[in-house]
Amino acid sequence: MHNYELIFILQADLDEASLNTAVDNVETLIKNNGGEIAKIDRWGKRKLAYPINKANEGYYVFVDFNYKPEEVAGLKRTLGYNEQVLRHIVVRKA
Amino acid sequence: MTESRYSERGDRSQNGERSERPRRFVSRPKFCQFCSDKNLVIDYKNVEMMSRYINETGKIRPRRQTGACAKHQREVAKAVKNARHIALLPFEGDFWTENN
Repeated sequence: MHNYELIFILQADLDEASLNTAVDNVETLIKNNGGEIAKIDRWGKRKLAYPINKANEGYYVFVDFNYKPEEVAGLKRTLGYNEQVLRHIVVRKA
Repeated sequence: MTESRYSERGDRSQNGERSERPRRFVSRPKFCQFCSDKNLVIDYKNVEMMSRYINETGKIRPRRQTGACAKHQREVAKAVKNARHIALLPFEGDFWTENN
């Protein structure tokens, strides 16, 4: 288990309910694969520094969690397939 | 051509030629702020901090401007690239004027 941090950007024009389900899906995915979530921080709507998929705004979610290194690739893949997620980044903390 | 290069690299000793030339650029005493302050963590999430390490065109500022040592400059560069990926910093262009 290592300490990772994940930031993902959801489409800003989603309604409240779909934002919540999207965040919950990530949360359950991490927990189901043996991860421990330390903190979920919703930064909320932010202006993007450059447009992504013609969107100028995004809904930022920050997750601090412990995860097995071999499971990280699967997490990234799932986020990549999700069309509501504009961008994601997983960084292992030093 | 050579004149401008010397002024750009004012802190570099140029085989003794420097003493004859009137210096137009006075270099500040340089030290790595990350080495001297251990509490200062390079964090790609901190937009305010990271925006200090890119110039107006969005490029990563060189070591001679940031004053960082080689080790920390690598970390700064990495952090800027991470911040760009999640659209906290621009890949190009001036984002301060666009945001305000």
